[in-house]
Amino acid sequence: MPQHILEDRELSIATGSDLTSEGKTIKCGQNSVSGSVSQRACVYCGARVVLNPITDAFHLVHGPIGCASYTWDIRGSLSSDSELFRQSFSTDLKEKDVIFGGVVKLKQAVDEIMARFNPPVVFIYSTCLVGVIGDDVDSVCRESERRYGARFINVKAPGFAGHKALGYKLACEALFELIKPFRDNPKVKGINILGDYNLAGEIWIIKNYFKEVGLKVLSVFTGDSSYESLIKAPTASLNVVQCAGSMTYLAKMMEESFNIPYVKASFFGLEDTASALMKTVDLLGDSKARQKAKSLVEREGRKTHEAVEKYLPLLKGKKAAIFVGGGFKAVSLVRQFKALGLETVLVGTQTGSAEDYELLGELAGPSAVILDDANPAELETFMRQKGADILVGGVKERPLAYKLGVAFCDHNHERKAPLAGFAGVENFAREITLSINSPVWALARASSFLD
Amino acid sequence: MSLEWVTSSKNLRSFENKIKKYIMTKLSNICANPCKMCQPLGAITAFYGLKKCMSLLHGSQGCSTYIRRHLATHYNEPVDVASSSLSEEGAVFGGEKNLFKGLDNLIKLYSPDIVAVSTTCLAETIGEDVGAMIKRYLERAPKPAAEVISLSTPGYGGTQFEGWFRALRAVVEQVPMKKVSLDSINVVTGPISPADARELKKTLSALKLNYILLPDISYNLDGPFSLEYNRLPQEGTSIEQISQMAGARVTLELSPFCPDNLSPGLFLRDNYGVDLIRLNLPIGLRDTDIFLKTLKDLGAVIGDDIIQERGRYLDAMLDSHKYSAQGRAALFGEPDLVYSLSRLCVENGLATIVAATGSIAKEFKERVENELQQNQSPLAGPFSVLDGSDFTDIEREAVKGEVNLLVGNGDGRRLAQKRGWPLVRCAFPIHDHVGGQRIKNLFYEGSISLLDHMVNSLCSNLESSFRKDLKNQYFRSNFGQDKVLELDLEDLENNINGMAPASKSIQRPIREYVPKKLAHPCFSLEASHSLARLHLPVAPDCNIGCLYCLRRYDCANESRPGVTSAVLNPEEALERFLIVKKKFPNLSVVGVAGPGEAMASPEKTLETFRLIRKSDSDILFCLSSNGLALAPYLRDLKDLGLSHLTLTVNAVDPKIGQKIYGHVDYYSKRYRGLEAASIILANQMTALKMAVDLGLIVKINTVLIEGLNEEHSEQTAKTCAALGASIGNIMQHIPVKGTLLGEKRKLSRAELQKTSEKCALYLPQIRHCRQCRADAAGLLSDDRSIDFTKPEEGLMDIAAKVENLAAGGGRQVKIAAVSKSGVLVDQHFGQAERFYIYLSDGNEVRLLETRNVASAGGCSRCGKPDTIGGGEARPKGFIDKLVKAVSDCEAVVAVRVGESPQSKLAALGIASFATYESMERAVLAAAGKILTGKSQQTDSSNLAVG
Repeated sequence: MPQHILEDRELSIATGSDLTSEGKTIKCGQNSVSGSVSQRACVYCGARVVLNPITDAFHLVHGPIGCASYTWDIRGSLSSDSELFRQSFSTDLKEKDVIFGGVVKLKQAVDEIMARFNPPVVFIYSTCLVGVIGDDVDSVCRESERRYGARFINVKAPGFAGHKALGYKLACEALFELIKPFRDNPKVKGINILGDYNLAGEIWIIKNYFKEVGLKVLSVFTGDSSYESLIKAPTASLNVVQCAGSMTYLAKMMEESFNIPYVKASFFGLEDTASALMKTVDLLGDSKARQKAKSLVEREGRKTHEAVEKYLPLLKGKKAAIFVGGGFKAVSLVRQFKALGLETVLVGTQTGSAEDYELLGELAGPSAVILDDANPAELETFMRQKGADILVGGVKERPLAYKLGVAFCDHNHERKAPLAGFAGVENFAREITLSINSPVWALARASSFLD
Repeated sequence: MSLEWVTSSKNLRSFENKIKKYIMTKLSNICANPCKMCQPLGAITAFYGLKKCMSLLHGSQGCSTYIRRHLATHYNEPVDVASSSLSEEGAVFGGEKNLFKGLDNLIKLYSPDIVAVSTTCLAETIGEDVGAMIKRYLERAPKPAAEVISLSTPGYGGTQFEGWFRALRAVVEQVPMKKVSLDSINVVTGPISPADARELKKTLSALKLNYILLPDISYNLDGPFSLEYNRLPQEGTSIEQISQMAGARVTLELSPFCPDNLSPGLFLRDNYGVDLIRLNLPIGLRDTDIFLKTLKDLGAVIGDDIIQERGRYLDAMLDSHKYSAQGRAALFGEPDLVYSLSRLCVENGLATIVAATGSIAKEFKERVENELQQNQSPLAGPFSVLDGSDFTDIEREAVKGEVNLLVGNGDGRRLAQKRGWPLVRCAFPIHDHVGGQRIKNLFYEGSISLLDHMVNSLCSNLESSFRKDLKNQYFRSNFGQDKVLELDLEDLENNINGMAPASKSIQRPIREYVPKKLAHPCFSLEASHSLARLHLPVAPDCNIGCLYCLRRYDCANESRPGVTSAVLNPEEALERFLIVKKKFPNLSVVGVAGPGEAMASPEKTLETFRLIRKSDSDILFCLSSNGLALAPYLRDLKDLGLSHLTLTVNAVDPKIGQKIYGHVDYYSKRYRGLEAASIILANQMTALKMAVDLGLIVKINTVLIEGLNEEHSEQTAKTCAALGASIGNIMQHIPVKGTLLGEKRKLSRAELQKTSEKCALYLPQIRHCRQCRADAAGLLSDDRSIDFTKPEEGLMDIAAKVENLAAGGGRQVKIAAVSKSGVLVDQHFGQAERFYIYLSDGNEVRLLETRNVASAGGCSRCGKPDTIGGGEARPKGFIDKLVKAVSDCEAVVAVRVGESPQSKLAALGIASFATYESMERAVLAAAGKILTGKSQQTDSSNLAVG
């Protein structure tokens, strides 16, 4: 192992060939190593990012101010209607509340919320401190539902309870709780889309496709959703699961309890988008829709190929590094890079599974470096070692890439151009081409200007 | 779980009490859109000003990640902060083990000179004694390779502002001091930008002074690009320098609001006798002057450069003063900066209307208020100074004070967008612009830059709007030149025909809810859930022509367009009332709302009320009207017991009104255009005033029409509130085909909400209006039943699908793909949780179904199967179960198929293919092989990636 790799971390780092031909497995799914400067966020974050896009929900962070302040409008989800979710609300607990408990303040906050905003659903996120002082938030929720008739859901998400993926699960449970009362409504022909958060309007693009082929999208979890739209979910005949890491759990619960089958799909990249549409129409067994989907895929495929062509010569042979949240997205990115002629030399995730990493090893090739829960020192070391030209990652990683003279792709919450669907293929190619081919890199790499 | 509303009177009352307060008062239990962050963030930022120092947060993992993201996007620098990553176990049994390991790892990774350990909410609440732990850590052998500073920074104990000073205080308290007298001065600052720290150093050097700056973030948070990136912050105040602070001549603490118990300067004075001078930040003319004068007294040489800089700032002040005078600013951020900004504004004649901080700082309010009272022109009018505030408070005060400029951190951008005010970003955090690290506020140069930014924002706004504004205000086309009624409030009152105004209370404050209105479902949210109402369609005619209304239907001001109701005569109306009353014992209100205009047929409406009053002395009456012909009958209506009145007022400006009202029929004459709009407005205002004086509760309905009265509705609310309306209701314009306004876009609920919020500042708004029909009965929410679509064409069964495809001709093969992602063939056959069953003819693939074969369970956290570390053993017979699940297929595609399953499959005539392709490609390839008779291959090379 190179210098600056902690012993505790060695088993979480491998090469493609380690994982494929050598049959090794990567250590993953563990708590972060103390002092390693992990890039991961916490349980609360996981739950918040999944639930936040519900536009007319009131998201109340029960705890001191930090958690609310840092997650204000954290996901760049767009809304076609209410903007309530884009505000940051906190009970802003103080020393006094820590000593005497925060329940009184929480109850009064609920009264204020109902008087002023009257939302259909209130999510109360119980953060670290509440987990320790033991406020009975459940009973506040029960009491408030009785009084106000709106839904009050306690999302017990103390940061120390696990990592981000547990937050996803908690969010799924909250969503299930929300829609469960409507389980007995009769089924209609239509689908739910799970795991799209309408970043940069992506769900609108995807919904347009389904509209064109004649399929009704009943609910989206949770991009541009509202209470009214979510409670239609139990009547759907198929769940299309996109962000598998965050939403498979909900899909499974809906399969068991509502008898709704699910199919996993990805709307990133040309091939995956086409496959997602075809799979959906196939499973619904609608031959008219199938015909329309086929022509849509052909038409958009042709257009996309033409649009992307001009970028290919500028991308050929470039090397990509990937560090993202989940395995599903990493897999999708490796394939998108491959399709554009780039080689992936480093790929890591915050919450991937052993299987994800094995697959990543296969896709990225024997010499690629595979990392679970990497830290800045490792990213720096391996990006240098592998000579990466571009990094895809979260906003925290952006300045690191720039300091190393490496281009950056904002495939994260803050993106403002859609990267999903057919339209996303061109945007993705454009985004990475413009960054990789900027004149600034050559100037930065030039050694001395005085010679 | 019951979804019913509870309607006990006790709850009603407490609810009503809350409602009463909400509009113009602070949310007292919720911080809504915070103007502050937590203590650890401040501490970490300050520690970035120490040389070769790394921070570790003792707490759960998320805190460090959030803070890193927050800092990294503002400073555009990598920000590395370690965490002790406390887990559930640590939270219960204490985190010492985690902390020691974290320190070891951090030192190993970064080789820092200093490690600063700050605590979090979690560590503090579980009672971690970090000081004692660090002591134990430092006593371990071998001795740790770095100095360790520890401090207590619970998130609930203050904001980033206190966190910053807590860090500095810990530094001077814990770094061993050398009491050797030196000729240097200590300079301690509150949170300033890296560029300002650099300016400060440059200035001190130019003044030929020896100094120690604490902290010095100028390099570590604004580093130059270099081919050698070093992840450990390389510059900043060194331990050596810190240890010399005890021997300095004097400490200059550039923070008026640093709390005494956190002041590094006070600590140095009390423990080492170093003189302390506290100054404001050197921003603006006066405070920069004082700073330089102080330094001159300490022996600094003030060079010509600085004198010229000062002259240039003065020059800029003069150049800009007329623009500055147009400014009405809301300032927000950390207390030191806001105070300085207010002083800079004051000296430029730019009004400070709101000065707000999210922190709670001693004397902040007094000092800013003093400054504004003494030095701000009284022409600016009232101002408010807030501490412990959030952006909701800032917005409320800013709207009240009619500001036109925001100055502060980038979190004000949402407010700027919402209200259309320009925002000058001059403080942390800024996430939507670049250059947060390069902001310059200090000294004359920084003041010039700040002033220019503010003034230019005002100029841009003026430049882009003044042409349009002036045209709208003064230009009159020849059309309708006869008489333009200028109806501002004064005129309104004077023009009210023949009615002496009761009082001169035009500017009366916003009225509070009157308890009586509780009993009316349309006027109170709570009542709407418990009390029923009955609308009696007795008034078919109308006396105005709204351009969005089609007279075939009911009045669009009151009802959903497109709904017609049978008209009753007063006797029939009484009958209906009696029937409905029997059915709804909670019937509280009877109203007339059309289907036309209630007062276009006044005798019918009055007669209806008369008949009902005879049979029921308690029932409340309400009336909806456009107000044109209302005033003459108000006294009669009142005598009959009318208590609630709804007036539809779509505009209080005839120029806008004429685009909404096509005509009015008034005393047997039809008026159009401006004239019509003026008449109806004058009469509406008369009726409103009179109704209020008679003690009626008046609700103002405003139909919000895209591009017509959206901007104007605030004014409408303001005017109606001033005349005494109690409550407002912004309604959606539902475009009806065939009307002049039928092509307008239907505004979204969010847009309505936004307008409603704006109006609520003047007139409380209800938000539960259902735009009911003229013959509605029962609870408002009654008709909210969710009509579930009947099941359409069900899922076609698999057999039918197979038939469909087979009908296409050619042989089809059924193939099972193993996939976890649902996209790629990505699992071993033996790991399969679900099969994707495809049908293919070698040219095309079709997904038939998915088959779930995973046993219940899996990882309880993520729902993923437990495969970490090689996978849990599957139950016995699992492979047989898998084989059976695909027994109707001709082939299986998987990442790998083990020997045993392969032979079991083969025995059933099922071929196996190994690949990690997308499912579609893999199935296609496999089908090709089978159909061409090459099905026995199992090597993945035969399915090479295309």
